[in-house]
Amino acid sequence: MDNGPPVLAIKNMSRYPSKLILAHSWQRCTILVLLAGALVGCTTKAEFSENAVYILKQELASNAEFSQQRHLDLADVMAGMFGTPDEPNVPKLGDVEISKILDATHLYVASGPVSSDERGRARGLYREHCAHCHGVTGDGAGPTAAFLNPYPRDYRMGIFKFKSTPKGGKPTHEDLKDILVNGIPGTAMPSFKVLPNNELEALISYVRYLSIRGEVERSLVFLATNELGADERLFDISAPAEVKSEQASLIREYAAEVAQKWVDAESQATPIESPDPDRDMVASIKHGRELFYGPIANCVKCHGDSALGDGQKSDYDDWTKELEPTNEEVLEEFLGLGSFVLAPRNIHPRNLRQGVYRGGRRPIDLFRRVHNGIDGTPMPGALIIPDDAPAGTKGLTKSDLWSLVDYVRSLPYESISRPPVIEQGYQRSRM
Amino acid sequence: MKNAFTLVISAVLLASGSLSAAEWGDLKLTFVYDGAAPAATTINVNKDPQFCGQFGLVDEALVVNKENGGIANVIAYLYTRSGPKPEVHPDYAASANEKVVLDNEKCRFEPHVLLLQTTQTLVMKNSDSVGHNTNYSTFTNPPQNILIPSGGQVEQKLSQPERLPAKVACNIHPWMTSWLVVQDNPYSGVSNKDGELVIKNLPVGTWTFQFWQEAGGYVAKVKQDGKATEWSRGRLEVTIKPGMNDLGEIKYKP
Repeated sequence: MDNGPPVLAIKNMSRYPSKLILAHSWQRCTILVLLAGALVGCTTKAEFSENAVYILKQELASNAEFSQQRHLDLADVMAGMFGTPDEPNVPKLGDVEISKILDATHLYVASGPVSSDERGRARGLYREHCAHCHGVTGDGAGPTAAFLNPYPRDYRMGIFKFKSTPKGGKPTHEDLKDILVNGIPGTAMPSFKVLPNNELEALISYVRYLSIRGEVERSLVFLATNELGADERLFDISAPAEVKSEQASLIREYAAEVAQKWVDAESQATPIESPDPDRDMVASIKHGRELFYGPIANCVKCHGDSALGDGQKSDYDDWTKELEPTNEEVLEEFLGLGSFVLAPRNIHPRNLRQGVYRGGRRPIDLFRRVHNGIDGTPMPGALIIPDDAPAGTKGLTKSDLWSLVDYVRSLPYESISRPPVIEQGYQRSRM
Repeated sequence: MKNAFTLVISAVLLASGSLSAAEWGDLKLTFVYDGAAPAATTINVNKDPQFCGQFGLVDEALVVNKENGGIANVIAYLYTRSGPKPEVHPDYAASANEKVVLDNEKCRFEPHVLLLQTTQTLVMKNSDSVGHNTNYSTFTNPPQNILIPSGGQVEQKLSQPERLPAKVACNIHPWMTSWLVVQDNPYSGVSNKDGELVIKNLPVGTWTFQFWQEAGGYVAKVKQDGKATEWSRGRLEVTIKPGMNDLGEIKYKP
């Protein structure tokens, strides 16, 4: 067999013959059972599944079928770049400093079936701790997913909600670690504080790996359906060297675009200065309240007149919007793909009376949410103006944002039936 | 050595120059709805009804002119992929670094389709007395979602061309939608209320254009000169000759 183009680093292609990749595990399982003629235990190798939703979406958009050849090509390219759930690869992507975000040892430890080696070192951490909800592929559709509200995150869009970087930026290493250590209050995501640090690091690497893999897959599906001609192959191992190198460089270009964003994220965290610790808290909360209900911050519009999160309940998050939930006919098609497509649910603004904050309860966490907004959701970021902006400039200063944070943090203690129109209300709630 | 190099360069420049530099052509198409013009769908204004309810808002996904059947907001842009980039006519120099405004006005985005070049600056503003958020989902450029208070404005550069028109939404007023076309050349166009789409001063030669419309995505199944034809993925190759290149009426139904 040809060694393949060096840029794609397709190693040991023979280990992943395309037939094996495509055949459904249940089919092989059934055959095995039939051959054995008895119901014996039937274990199959874990496999990454194709992003059927996105493929169908692009088929509908381009009004062209994603041919069998395309499926084969995509599987070959994905296996060549990323390996399998048991033997993951760190893809080589030209200038992208991939080693800064993915570590082969970490991936090895996190991947594979749950086991330990002769020295007692754990392996298969992802499948032990994460896959039942987030799925082997990181599609947020593990066996328990349908029973959870909210649904587990699908990493493949590359969008993460609770992070320190601006809209569109990937989470930093620290952001992912915070989530693993603290869990996500108000959801099924638990804390993994008890895991040793090296295991947390392995999982961080693996989540990045699954996200990059999933987003690259989307990119390549887009490339195949929207850019390539009907007869043009995504990748053809038996094509002449020139053609192959052209195909490989296009694939690498698309993949590098995704991975580079993860490298960039490490230096993109929004810088935040602490608020004045001696500020008059009563005045700050009062100012925050005015902003909350006022036309500049306009929080009331979605979080509701009583901040119960009931101002706007008919919207969807970006993961759900992919299913076009308001278009019944199309939605039916997506749901018909299989049980891994979860029924759409509306996204609701946070009920700020409960004191449960998914992205963390520290003032800095809340500041990040109002400053940058929340990716993948309707929550917008603020229009920030400098402290010395001329009077009348529309927007919020950073000190306004801290007042909003102060007010939001006071909300669980504010009486709904006796809102603090009267000044004493604040004092009572603060005593 | 240097002289020889200069010679080669000038020869190349001359060769290509003699073919195109001084010759430019305009492209025109008129998109007409194939069938009886559908009536506009009224929006159920359930957010800020006191303010937004006064404008008689309609769904703008498909806007057909009752009088002549013209389809507004059909988008076209030059599709170059890995091919050569077009020369740019000097008339475009003045607008190359312009600020281009996307306004929140009367509870809709104005314009509904915004053509933006990577050298230009996008200005998002809010002329309404209610607050809006401007949430655009770009593919290559970082997406944005900013709350813009009444009278507020924010500027943004989008330095990479987008592969498709990017959706802009306001989550406070769910009916509000517009589309951002970001290209690294000025040769994009959008059809007016009579369905006329004009792209001016293209360098003569053969170019591929991609056509896209909100309700139907790629403008693929069309009738050109009365004959049904398919523009695969909305792409059409056109040979631009000096002067006006009018492709006439294109019948389309999303």
